[in-house]
Amino acid sequence: MWSEKERQELDKILEKYPPDRKMSAVLPALYVVQRRKNYLTDDDIKDVAEALDVTVTHVHSVIGFYTLFRKEPTGKYMVQVCTDLPCALRGAEDFYHRLCERMEIGSHGGTTDDDLFTVEGVVCIAACDKAPCMQINLEFFESLTDDQIDEVIKRLRQGESLTAVAANY
Amino acid sequence: MSDQVTLTIDGKTVTVPKGTLIVEAAKQIEQEIPVFCYHGKLSQVGMCRMCLVEVGTPMFDRATREPVLDENGVQKIGFFPKPMTACTTPVSEGMVVKVDSGAALDDRKAVLEFLLTSHPLDCPVCDKGGECPLQDLTMKHGSGISRFNYEEKQHFPKKYPLGDLIVLDMERCVICTRCIRFQSEIAHDPVLAIENRGRHAHIVSYSDPPFDSHYSGNATDVCPVGALTTKDFRFGARSWEMKNVPSICNHCGVGCNTVLGTRKGGSGTGQLKRVMPRQNETVNELWICDKGRFGHHFNESPNRLTTPLIRQDGQLVESTWADVLPFIGEKISSIKSANGSTALGGIAGARLSNEDLYLFQKLFRQIIGSNNIDHRVGLNANFEDTTAYTVGVGVGTDLSQVGKGSTILVIGSDLDQEAPILYIRVAGASVKRSAHVINIGGRRTKLDAQAQTSAYYQYGTASYLVLGILASVVAQGLVNQEWIDRHATGFSEITKLLQDFAPDSVADTTGVSSAEIEAIAKSYAEAENGIIIFGHEAGNDPALGAAIEALAAVTGHAGKPNNGVIAVLPHANSRGAADMGVVPNRLLGYLPLEGEAGLSAEQMLSGNSIKGMIIAGADPASESDTYRECLQNLDFLVVQDLFLTETAQLADVVLPAKAVAERDGTFTNLERRVQTFDVGIDSPLLAWSDWLILAAIAGQLGADWGYASADGVMAEITQEVPLYQNMAFENLVAPVSLDRQTDHYIYEGMSFTADVHEGIQWATVAENEQQKITLQLVVPENHTGSDEITLVTPRILYDGGRLLAETDVVQSHVFQTRALLSSVDAKKLGLNNGDSVTISQNGTAVNLPIQISRMLNEGTILIPRNIEGRPAERLVGSSDVHASVKVKKS
Repeated sequence: MWSEKERQELDKILEKYPPDRKMSAVLPALYVVQRRKNYLTDDDIKDVAEALDVTVTHVHSVIGFYTLFRKEPTGKYMVQVCTDLPCALRGAEDFYHRLCERMEIGSHGGTTDDDLFTVEGVVCIAACDKAPCMQINLEFFESLTDDQIDEVIKRLRQGESLTAVAANY
Repeated sequence: MSDQVTLTIDGKTVTVPKGTLIVEAAKQIEQEIPVFCYHGKLSQVGMCRMCLVEVGTPMFDRATREPVLDENGVQKIGFFPKPMTACTTPVSEGMVVKVDSGAALDDRKAVLEFLLTSHPLDCPVCDKGGECPLQDLTMKHGSGISRFNYEEKQHFPKKYPLGDLIVLDMERCVICTRCIRFQSEIAHDPVLAIENRGRHAHIVSYSDPPFDSHYSGNATDVCPVGALTTKDFRFGARSWEMKNVPSICNHCGVGCNTVLGTRKGGSGTGQLKRVMPRQNETVNELWICDKGRFGHHFNESPNRLTTPLIRQDGQLVESTWADVLPFIGEKISSIKSANGSTALGGIAGARLSNEDLYLFQKLFRQIIGSNNIDHRVGLNANFEDTTAYTVGVGVGTDLSQVGKGSTILVIGSDLDQEAPILYIRVAGASVKRSAHVINIGGRRTKLDAQAQTSAYYQYGTASYLVLGILASVVAQGLVNQEWIDRHATGFSEITKLLQDFAPDSVADTTGVSSAEIEAIAKSYAEAENGIIIFGHEAGNDPALGAAIEALAAVTGHAGKPNNGVIAVLPHANSRGAADMGVVPNRLLGYLPLEGEAGLSAEQMLSGNSIKGMIIAGADPASESDTYRECLQNLDFLVVQDLFLTETAQLADVVLPAKAVAERDGTFTNLERRVQTFDVGIDSPLLAWSDWLILAAIAGQLGADWGYASADGVMAEITQEVPLYQNMAFENLVAPVSLDRQTDHYIYEGMSFTADVHEGIQWATVAENEQQKITLQLVVPENHTGSDEITLVTPRILYDGGRLLAETDVVQSHVFQTRALLSSVDAKKLGLNNGDSVTISQNGTAVNLPIQISRMLNEGTILIPRNIEGRPAERLVGSSDVHASVKVKKS
């Protein structure tokens, strides 16, 4: 169910589109409901479909296309490391595997035992020249070394805000 | 500029209309450009890349716009640096296309190698094998080897249920999206989509229930690979083993052309393996609904009657034709001599063929001497259509051609439920071809989403509304006087009566504002082509038929193709049953009976004057307790049917009949198109065709008819019924268009070879220059508004009919007995989904669970007809569509 605050936010989003083209607001509406749990439940998806007069199937299809939407529970921080070819040439793939191992979640991503971090390899976050690069939730971190990322993880574990940590990178 | 464009494809010149796509232009010179995602009936997406061709256009100097010439003075052709998709690129003047040359051949080979990286090469066990575009095009264009690493093959579950009728094998899918586009563009049920990307892409359906559509089977037909299969045909037969027998669907009045895929089984008897659509652009294009596709399994039900039964000591016991036929003859003769011929009566269901129905009326009228015959029971009971004979849609009408400049007025019909393929065609006329579709009904229906205009009347006032539209046509001066002068009489008389029905005066009664009525009148009258489609929920009202007839006539929308009226009749041969005079007051050709009319089905089954009956293909006992009691009290009852129905259980003699797939004959569809069906499979050993049973009974009564085949009966019909004079089998099976058969199946044709016919429509009075339509209006009965809740009882697709009940594969789709209520009323009554209510009317009460529906308006409760327990019939009776009821929580 939409909370009062979410409903206001949605109305604001819908103002940007013609009344018979509510479908256009699927992406921004999904961001709003994904904030509830950091991932999307069936109920969240149904909320979006009903509010925008589209089918549930269509909303699932949109979610599946974009890597920033998730249907599985994740850690509080979603760590996405690009491992695509240009980044891999700058060592991003090895960087990614080492990171996973240091966080004790195997070498191909997953969620840490404290449910704080979910690490995954993704394809292109539009910063190829600054690889190894990653995105934690919506914050960018570029030209990373192992030490730097350890520092980031440590500070987040200590409870510093993501924005504060990201400001240093 | 000319509307024609000339281009060269592989050295051959072709001239086509501007805007034609390269792939279509190439088809015209029989140059096949391979495709997967392209389908002539769907939008173009250019997804599969299979149709890549080299394209060049005449060169012009950029500065001077002068043609660039080569050394011989011929304009140079500049080829685009990259190949282009022939399925999305329109032709242009002087274009040069290379299909079968170096780069295009390489591209095709590479695309196939890519599409096959994860596709299992299991054609020998795949259902599509033998009729698979991917298989055929790989053989023709593929490289034969793959450079991809087998270990990296993408794996998916092999048997993923997309819905409970359709199974997906994602490994075989080439992501062409034909199924998705069919569902959203043709079926208007956008319940399929792609989830995830690239090699993880997956076809999904998240509707509730999954793949919620009446048309899901068509997705398997358009699938160019073996990814989508139907649950009942999976691994059922190889395509080349089957014989493809042309048939006509027997589930509704649309008359979809089908093909029965039959195979000789181990025991030597033919088995019906699948039903597929057979292309007929004028009826069903390339589609059939799921009821037609899956609803054939009743044929092989173990409950089929296999032998004649006779009542001995109160029990029905097995007998033989040789024993039962003389017994029937004796009993009928003795009732006739004791009580007179009017003590005998007959009811024939509207699923019987024209040949059966013709002999049925001949048996009663000529041999027995009784006019007590009727076909109007069950779903037919509340619907009678006389407009077909005067202003039925013109011969040559083709809804797939109706578009801009045309208006289609749909009145009181939920087409998606009553006649699904008609829904597809009307929705397509609106969405794809910009016809003005006006959907008028008592509640919201699926067509509202595609119609440009919707209006809602109070149930029971449809005739007022049509009279209001008619009055407005006259008042706005939109009548077609020239047409009226040539084809009709009585116009001045009806205009006087119309003064009482001006839009202002009917607005209150109907609930449709005068402005809406005037706009509807204007759109319909001014349209180049106008079609009226009216259905069950418009009500059983002589005033309605008369008003619709007059509306079509005064606007001149009759007597020519794509103009006229279509009544949405319930059964495969409801039209034919009326044409064959199986009506107590009408003779062959629906001509009025001079003298005293016979008894209607309702009269026969409610009184006590009838002593003996023959009931063929109808089950009135299941409809009402009154009917059942009446049948129990008969001296003698003969029932011919496929199953031991509730009526058959009361019979003295039960005769096993052949199903449609087991015999030949003709049906007349709701556009008056007469179409033949052939023998596909063997019947239970002792079952006979209905016409043969009737001829045998007549023989026992002294007749010497001597019919040897359905064909022979039709030969007599052509002599006896002027409307049917051209309907000899040899005319009906004449192939109409060879082009259609050669159209290769990879584009949009059929994947099998079968005869294609169009059927023949008989002509209406409006098409006959010698005859005139007598315009007459009937004043509708006073409509008294009610503050009680209105019960409405529509027909639905998956009802509780016996044929569906005997078909296991669709059981989960059959409507579970319940009532649908608007959310406003549910709130008022304090009800939630699943709560039980008591619905009562005139002393009859039924208890049903309710479901809250967003489609219903306040003050309406909906119970479909012909569902388990028949609650709708019990509350409103056989011939009404709606009633005021009391609803309370129970």
